[in-house]
Amino acid sequence: MLPYLGKAMTNLFRKPSTEKFPVGDAPQAAERYRGRISYNPDVCVNCGMCMRVCAPQCMHRDIETLENGDQKITFTFDLTSCTFCGMCADFCSRHSITLTDDYMMVGTQPEDFIVTGSFIKKAPPPKPKLTPEQIAEMKAKAEAAKAAKAAAKAEEPKADA
Amino acid sequence: MFEKLIDNSMAKSPWIFHVNAGSCNGCDIELVSVLTPRYDAERFGFRLTGTPRQADIVVVSGPITLQTRDRLRRVLEQVPEPYVVVSLGSCPKSGNVFKGSYSIDGPLDKWTHVDVSVAGCTPKPEAIVAALAKATEILKEKRKEMRK
Repeated sequence: MLPYLGKAMTNLFRKPSTEKFPVGDAPQAAERYRGRISYNPDVCVNCGMCMRVCAPQCMHRDIETLENGDQKITFTFDLTSCTFCGMCADFCSRHSITLTDDYMMVGTQPEDFIVTGSFIKKAPPPKPKLTPEQIAEMKAKAEAAKAAKAAAKAEEPKADA
Repeated sequence: MFEKLIDNSMAKSPWIFHVNAGSCNGCDIELVSVLTPRYDAERFGFRLTGTPRQADIVVVSGPITLQTRDRLRRVLEQVPEPYVVVSLGSCPKSGNVFKGSYSIDGPLDKWTHVDVSVAGCTPKPEAIVAALAKATEILKEKRKEMRK
């Protein structure tokens, strides 16, 4: 009886174990918690690995070609479709996708659950046009290099002997 | 006069009915943990009821499977107006990893109005508490509109 009484007395003066949450701030999530996706389009290289490894196919990519040949690439992540497995972040070679510890994903509109980002993929510069003289010069240079290599090869066995 | 009294009392005790529409049990466990002493949603008047006829908030978890689809609809038909539907976790909103399966018939928007949704697989209990708090606000507004 006595140990129980002691426990009862200590519990009387302990603060309640209930979290006060909706009144105050939400408590911090555990370390390395996988919450809301954050996407940094500035370092993304558009490899598409995240889309390959995503089991619920929660992301999609829009490629829009601009007038000057550049491409505007937009990645959209739908959090209501995500399992938060973290595979996309693991496979992202540039660490442009990370899973933050924000778990408060509550909303009334579909827009509340969309994470999106876009970047411009520059078109390669046009190839420089060469004049016939330049081409001839380059050809001659290549020939000379080839001849020098052949001469070096012919000399080698003599050196060995 | 009585209407106001009833409305005020009902706003302080929104009862929850939980429908498991083919969930993996992850979200269900988290919803039950919301009612445990640590998160203690009962201090805001939330209470799990056994019948949809007494419910104000319907919490749906799981992708809507073919087996549960008709039961879900039957449950939703029994809930008195006004009611709020909360979709718990990623499954009811999109199907999650079961998307495109032959045995699911979702998303939940196809069958009813979804007022509040919580993303996460599974959501943390704090997020569920926040969603329920939002649901009560929506419920209050809906009731006010109905009285007009």
